[in-house]
Amino acid sequence: MKIDFEINGKATSVDVDPQMPLLWVVRDELNLKATKYGCGKAMCGACTLHVDGDIFRSCSLAVEYVSGKSVTTLEGLSKNEGHLHPVQQAWIDENVPQCGYCQPGFMMAAAKLITVIPNPTDQDIKANISNICRCGTHPRIIKAIKRAAQIQQTTTLISDGKAKE
Amino acid sequence: MEKQKNEGKSSRRKFLQTGAIILGGTIVATYLGRGPLRRFAAETAESLDTPLLVSTYKPDFWFEVLTDNTILLKSPKVEMGQGIFTGLAMLAAEELEVSVSQIRVEHAGSSNGPMDLTLTGGSSSTSSLYVPIREVAATMREMLKNAAGKYWNVQPGSINVKEGILTSGKNSMSYAEISALTKDWDVPDTPALKSVSDFKYVGTNVKRIDLIPKVMGKPIFGIDYTFPDMVYALILQSPYINGTIKSLDTKKAAESAGVIKVIEEKDLVAVVAKTRYAAEMALRLIEADWDIPRKWQQADFEQIVKVGNGNAVHIQDDGSAESLINENPGSAFRQEYRTPMAAHAQMEPNGTVAWVEKDSAKIVIGTQMPGMVARAVAKALDLDPEQVNLQVAYSGGGFGRRGMVNNAVHAAIISKLIGKPVHVFNTREQEFQNAVYRPNTHHVLEAKIGQGGEIEAIVHNQATPDTLVEAFAGSTALSLLGADFLSSGHGAGLIYNIKNRAAIVWQNKLPVRTGIWRSVGMYPNTFAVESFMNELAVKTGKDPFEMRIVLLKGTEKVNERYVHVLETLRERSGWDSPKPPGKGRGLAICNDRKTIAAAVIEVQVIDKRIKIIKVTNVIDAGLSINPEGIRQQVEGCVMMGISSALYEELTVKDGQIAASNYHEYPLATLADTPQIEVIILQGTDQPLGVGEPPIEPIAPAIAAAVFDLTGQNLRSLPLRIL
Repeated sequence: MKIDFEINGKATSVDVDPQMPLLWVVRDELNLKATKYGCGKAMCGACTLHVDGDIFRSCSLAVEYVSGKSVTTLEGLSKNEGHLHPVQQAWIDENVPQCGYCQPGFMMAAAKLITVIPNPTDQDIKANISNICRCGTHPRIIKAIKRAAQIQQTTTLISDGKAKE
Repeated sequence: MEKQKNEGKSSRRKFLQTGAIILGGTIVATYLGRGPLRRFAAETAESLDTPLLVSTYKPDFWFEVLTDNTILLKSPKVEMGQGIFTGLAMLAAEELEVSVSQIRVEHAGSSNGPMDLTLTGGSSSTSSLYVPIREVAATMREMLKNAAGKYWNVQPGSINVKEGILTSGKNSMSYAEISALTKDWDVPDTPALKSVSDFKYVGTNVKRIDLIPKVMGKPIFGIDYTFPDMVYALILQSPYINGTIKSLDTKKAAESAGVIKVIEEKDLVAVVAKTRYAAEMALRLIEADWDIPRKWQQADFEQIVKVGNGNAVHIQDDGSAESLINENPGSAFRQEYRTPMAAHAQMEPNGTVAWVEKDSAKIVIGTQMPGMVARAVAKALDLDPEQVNLQVAYSGGGFGRRGMVNNAVHAAIISKLIGKPVHVFNTREQEFQNAVYRPNTHHVLEAKIGQGGEIEAIVHNQATPDTLVEAFAGSTALSLLGADFLSSGHGAGLIYNIKNRAAIVWQNKLPVRTGIWRSVGMYPNTFAVESFMNELAVKTGKDPFEMRIVLLKGTEKVNERYVHVLETLRERSGWDSPKPPGKGRGLAICNDRKTIAAAVIEVQVIDKRIKIIKVTNVIDAGLSINPEGIRQQVEGCVMMGISSALYEELTVKDGQIAASNYHEYPLATLADTPQIEVIILQGTDQPLGVGEPPIEPIAPAIAAAVFDLTGQNLRSLPLRIL
């Protein structure tokens, strides 16, 4: 079945089984490999991405669900290395990744969290992100999310200021 | 660069002598030909006692000068998160006289770099490469200087080098320029190396050099790799312990959408499909009946792994510990401890991308043992070793789970049968149910306490399955050695100066494959021994710090280091300040191949759940190459240690591993993150291992903290409040 949707700001069309998980569509049909397979049961969060601005675990989301919708993966979070998303910048500032495999899912969850809770506490972060990391980057992830929130606020203030000028 | 010109025998001699078993390519082959036991002994020596075994020491096999004047370093050690690429770049930059950012690091492949013939593991990568990589880098620098000297017709000694630019008087050119101009290279004798006091980068905090690909989500892992026209396969694996196929019906699977072929070759049954999704759907449609040799239960596993069962090997026997305990057994202080079977649960499942053509095999894999994988594929396909082009991908976690061939051979066979490149990665269920596990262990500790409360004798009996010997060197090697005291039994012996002390490793065999797991035997042994020491402190009315300091004092350098670690930890953890109400505190320490790691942990218990509040770590891993990298590893060990101590347990039920996915094998999450402090000491001027030792004190320190708070002695992992 032909399914049309938007991926990282661009229109796309795939012809696949409508039940195929979005994870495999993104990875193997669209060749965007940042979104990871971890458990296949929506438990580990390695496959987290955004659909119309909400977070989803794409290993357990049939592609037909995103028909006509807008999907963002980590590849679409920033334009390029010179214009990083606050979350990516904070991940670099706090030297977060170890093996790095779970990080795309964490970054996508974090990017959503700081839009809902612009100034999250440790408790907000701990209560709202249930992804799994085996290397033990947890303390740095928490620090990086708080830093990303700060970067986001500074950026917002600057752009608000510009808008007023 | 031309490789043939580097063969001058006298000039290469130094490289061949850097360690007892550091050898050039041809000599390695001879050495390995001496039989499995010797090979095993050599390889074990590699991973435990840290010399290095690689396929070549030719500098231009390690380093490539790129046209933008960056240097490509081809690492024999694999990056699985531990940060080895960053540490190696720092060491190479010191002698190459370039900045760290001028070095790019990639994995050495079998055809284009110094292939590691042993294992990335045992926390030995930095220490094993500390001298060789600087020697190779210094030689490379001299080669570039000599070439520039020839070109300018000046003495090489008159040439200065800074950030990859060579200058002599008014002459100036980059490494890239002289590399492009030079055809014939002379390899000089290995130059003298910088002393520690001259280091520019070593000892400074350097962020990981793989941050950009990792935060941009670049396709760096094995599972991300694609070849043109690649297909996807999944292998049918028994969900039962040692199950074999009784009957098979693959008709529905073969007719399933997107399926190209169902392979049934001897033991190998696999579905090959156009997409991973189609392969998964088809795998579920295979109707298999399994012959199950026995419906194993958890009680069987606990019965098998028991002190008194199997072969016993003394690995420590000082004084007359056993006779002192046995002469009056009733009076000894005796406790038993158990650790459970565990999964590695690394986030990227194991798998291989393989492309086999008539006379060649391309293999892409995240592995801790590239040399062993390449040899296994060559043997299975009847190819010459040089016909196997093995490319190492970044690993999405290792922890020991990639210290084996895994499915590389099956992937290669499937590719050969199907005539196309194939992507074969386990499902998470296969990762749990048909894997290699950290075995459960059983420990009996006994002490003879004198009338004044002094400890006269301690005997530690550890029962454990093998985790290294049989897999690497075969069952003959295991029976010759008696027990796997090298890996499973690592850490069974006591570090404390007790006149009469003994440690005995009992060799048991489980019906599942058992293997190395982060810190190997140090994990269960530190839990058992340090828990026992904490109980002895309570029993004899001593402060656990005081007791340890008394028993670790001595005249050797290591004694000084122990005391320094303990005194630092005592102060920095606030041990002597009043304990906050409702909290318990515990201590543990270990020595893992010369690295000393200790932790004080503060806990609360809420609704019978143990909550870790604060972890203060002191680590003395000798010379710090990258303190920032050490902190990352210690934090990682704390989190994996908490996860393992509080939650992780793999059990057996009705012939199966009971857990099939993360819901049945929960790991620590962000909610479990305590306050973590890391204090780094440098007790020697040699770099030591960092990736494993800090996990070892975590479980016993938590157990001691729980006792401190509740009075409950929890002697089995995972720790559960009664």
